[in-house]
Amino acid sequence: MSEHEIKLQSHDHAEGERACMSRREFLLAGGAVVSVTALSGVPGLAQGAAQPQYALKANYARQKVGQLSRLVQGKPIQFNYPYAHVSNILVKLGAPAGGGVGADGDVVAFNLQCPHMGGPLHGSYKEQHQVLGPCPLHLTTFDLTRHGMVISGHATESLPQIVLEVEGDNIYAVGVLGLIYGYSRNVANPASA
Amino acid sequence: MSKEFNPHSFAIYAKDHVPLPPKDAEVLTTACDYCTIACGYKVYRWPVGREGGARAAENAFKMDFPFTGVQRPWASPSQHNVVRYKGKPHHVLVIPDFEATVVNRGGDHSVRGGTLAQKCYNPENRTSERLLYPMIRVRGTLMPVSWELATEAMADISKYILEKYGEHAWGIKMYSYQYFENTYAITKLGMTSVGTPAIAPHDKPSNTNDATGLDDAGLDSFAASYEDWGMAEVCFFSGVDPYETKTTLFTEWIMGGANPNKTLIFVTPHKTMGVAYGEKNGGLWLPIIPGTDALLHNAIARIVIEKGWQDQQFIDQWIANSWEVDAGYGRGTRNTGWQWRTTWGNWQSDWPDYQKFILSRDEHKLENAARITGLRAEDILRCAELIAKPRADGSRPKTSFMLEKGNYWSNNYLNTTSLSALALMCGAGNRPGRVISRGGGHQRGMMGAGGGSGWLNPEKYPGRRKKSFNLDRWVIDGKLRFAWAFGTTWYPAMMASQEIADAVFRMTRGNPHQVANLDRAAIFETFKRRVDSGGMVLVDSDIYPVEPLGTQHADIVLPAATWGEEDFSRCNSERRLRLYAKFYDAPGEARPDWWAVQKFAQKMGFTGYDWKSSNDVFEEAARFGRNGVLNYHPLVVKAKEQGVKGHELLRSYGTTGIQTPIRVREGRLVGTPRLHDPANNWGEIEGPEVQRQWLYAFNTHSGKAILLKSPWNFPGWIQFYEAVKPRREKGEIWVTNGRINETWQSGFDDLRKPYLAQRWPYPFIIVHPKDAAPKGIESGDFVQVFNDTVYVQTGQPQGVLDADLNFNNLMKDGHIKTTTGQFVAVAIVSDEIREGVAMANFNYPAAPANSVCHAVPDPVTNNYRYKLGRGVLTKVGESPYKHSFTSMTLKPRPII
Repeated sequence: MSEHEIKLQSHDHAEGERACMSRREFLLAGGAVVSVTALSGVPGLAQGAAQPQYALKANYARQKVGQLSRLVQGKPIQFNYPYAHVSNILVKLGAPAGGGVGADGDVVAFNLQCPHMGGPLHGSYKEQHQVLGPCPLHLTTFDLTRHGMVISGHATESLPQIVLEVEGDNIYAVGVLGLIYGYSRNVANPASA
Repeated sequence: MSKEFNPHSFAIYAKDHVPLPPKDAEVLTTACDYCTIACGYKVYRWPVGREGGARAAENAFKMDFPFTGVQRPWASPSQHNVVRYKGKPHHVLVIPDFEATVVNRGGDHSVRGGTLAQKCYNPENRTSERLLYPMIRVRGTLMPVSWELATEAMADISKYILEKYGEHAWGIKMYSYQYFENTYAITKLGMTSVGTPAIAPHDKPSNTNDATGLDDAGLDSFAASYEDWGMAEVCFFSGVDPYETKTTLFTEWIMGGANPNKTLIFVTPHKTMGVAYGEKNGGLWLPIIPGTDALLHNAIARIVIEKGWQDQQFIDQWIANSWEVDAGYGRGTRNTGWQWRTTWGNWQSDWPDYQKFILSRDEHKLENAARITGLRAEDILRCAELIAKPRADGSRPKTSFMLEKGNYWSNNYLNTTSLSALALMCGAGNRPGRVISRGGGHQRGMMGAGGGSGWLNPEKYPGRRKKSFNLDRWVIDGKLRFAWAFGTTWYPAMMASQEIADAVFRMTRGNPHQVANLDRAAIFETFKRRVDSGGMVLVDSDIYPVEPLGTQHADIVLPAATWGEEDFSRCNSERRLRLYAKFYDAPGEARPDWWAVQKFAQKMGFTGYDWKSSNDVFEEAARFGRNGVLNYHPLVVKAKEQGVKGHELLRSYGTTGIQTPIRVREGRLVGTPRLHDPANNWGEIEGPEVQRQWLYAFNTHSGKAILLKSPWNFPGWIQFYEAVKPRREKGEIWVTNGRINETWQSGFDDLRKPYLAQRWPYPFIIVHPKDAAPKGIESGDFVQVFNDTVYVQTGQPQGVLDADLNFNNLMKDGHIKTTTGQFVAVAIVSDEIREGVAMANFNYPAAPANSVCHAVPDPVTNNYRYKLGRGVLTKVGESPYKHSFTSMTLKPRPII
């Protein structure tokens, strides 16, 4: 499993400043421009069993999930990430979005399992509102322009957002923002990795 | 988008990890603290320093993580917290009980209950705002003091007030729901020991009925079981979308239950998600003009009668005939609420008379009713067909009727009498799947100590008949000298909120006599001068600083211990009694309200306040609930037989609990699923159980339900309605108010729960695009709502003639003053609301939507018409949430 150290170039940080900060954290912390460099494992990040510093380090694989030129607005494409059985959609919303990539900042990706009780959100994208849902189990809806925030319903967290980055025309998944349903941690315990 | 604005300003951090409970984690049971449904929850608790492993053998869930699949034991980050237990840090997971077989079967839960863990005190987040010690206000600033001094200061001035001004001058404004142990202690103090009539619950200005027409028809407001909603084939929801406010009742029992293929009818101007779900599944949305429900009910009744669709067999068996209506005047002795309201024969009816009433009035004709209610005639007709039309084989649809505040808080008496009559005609009221019930707001945690002193109330109905005591008016009129508020915002929950707030300010902080040092005698002297100069001493017990009641007005603030910090008990809206277990330490010197009451009562020299624990209060209170629908006395007797505490026996029932009234059969405790059901007639009583007629018949003298007439032109209603309608020439629209799933009540916890505070950082107002466009209002804009004519009833007029308490006479006699009201909210522009109506977030301290509503109660029931606000909307400017990516989504609610 690789570790991503993220190089920040933004209004909030001096040019070239390097920080051990995940892109997902960065997205929520503020700023609009990032460039991400994947590095191999950074020492000193091993998670101690007693008090793991789980939240602040990116520990996700980098995976190509699509191409900007092939995305059609309002037509989601499905991909699996960060594991083979975790389904997500990649969609061009047509409206600027938190964490959006591409020229219009409107390409986002989200997990397809409702973080309320795990209901499947497949096929529920509502193009008119840039919304995923309602979940067939308990009718929760999620605003994809605002990091998957619950609009109405019962999930107690936003829909996990797949953090994206772009290189040329290629779109890569580089992390997950929020706990995926059925997980106790998104990235496997070192002990069981 | 504004270039200067950072759209990520409001971010909170999204966690991607939750610790698993180790397999030896302690497991305690509780139920949700919020809505009336009260889902069962489990608390997993273990010391900080270790975690369970990902393999089934290594964690208390006995599950391999990660897992695939749905609806299995899982905790989201919002369901975890670190708390102190016996002084040491402990992890807690508060998750819905995945083994539940009642209420929230299989672990279903709402966004409110699903974030319960976040309400636990943790100094690292906004729960650090909890009140930690008693405080006395010294020249404007609250200073920490001991419980001793705080209660001595209260007792010193209370003794003086009681002697000089009498018990009327000493009042309580209290929650009616926050656990039997507390409500019993508070009412024992107020009603029995002090003996004041000046006591009002959190949701009403006076201690009176809620859905009054149901009571007078002989229907208990909580007669139904959740299974009944599961069995129903058609549901008529009046003034409520249970999805928004009674989540798992909707998602478990209405979307599911014995008959998941229900037809749902919603009468509400706001289309929320439940309404959209109902429409999609063959149901109906009736976006009614606020306040006109009674006419809709009567118009439907007319169709039913004309078509002969009534349930004649049920009517013949269960509806009181003219002799039975008159027997005991319907309800037994003359000294009942029913009598105070109905002696003059305005309402009660039998079946022939009721038909005559319905058929004789022009306004009940379909086209007329359609015009006044603002509904389409074909929709009203279809509604009548759905709820009442027999099938080809003669069988009838199983129809159940639910009402909630959109109904009974817009026209208290007529909306509830008319709905009762319509529902009874359709054969509902006491059978499986055919029930008439409130949906419920708060849980049912009121255990009154009895011995009320309402007879001391100076207010009287015509004929000098007893009337409930309006505490707000008493305060506004400057008659109260001491007030103790328990766990309520008071002003934003009541009407003309800014008017009450001003009155309280004048009598507290606005009075020249302010405490200047913490010497007990000096405090007393100051308070004495305060009350002798027309002022008031105000005490506020709560868990958080309440704006402005506690933060700006109260002289003494007391820190309360709450859910999870003490063993408590109460029932939900199907009367299911559970123990809410203590599982962590209350912060600082916070104490449960029963303890604070006891401390004060001891300082007053009152006897009977020597409880050692909340269990002692629970056991004592049991005796006072024996005649009511929440009777749990047999459980306490059984516990004594077994040599255990009442709380401990209740704890053994876990999240399942037992439905009150509790009965006894063959020595075992038996719960009661449904009231009024003849199947509950078991003949001989056994042990300590109490059999009341309402168990197996309706709650009337004859045991038969009573049809009540609801004339639309009743002067007690129509004069008020004409006065409060939006005035087109001023550009006003209706400004009603209500709740949504994600925030509960005043948001006391939700404002401090990180995820929910991010979702709703500021209260909303939902505006139809056609009302918004001319004002230039867009989603995300701050909008002011202003009503330049808010009516407030003043004085305590005693009615002498019938018309005395009606609006026009009150106005003529100088008992109504006009004031103004306003609030600011963030607009959500969406056609989910009826045009000409805006829907505001109810009871939000910083934006009191009730400020634009009128404090003139229903003269029949003394309840406010809370939902009938009006105002002019003006754009204030853009809110920072308009372009935010990280806070307050502005999307419509009913996207389906």
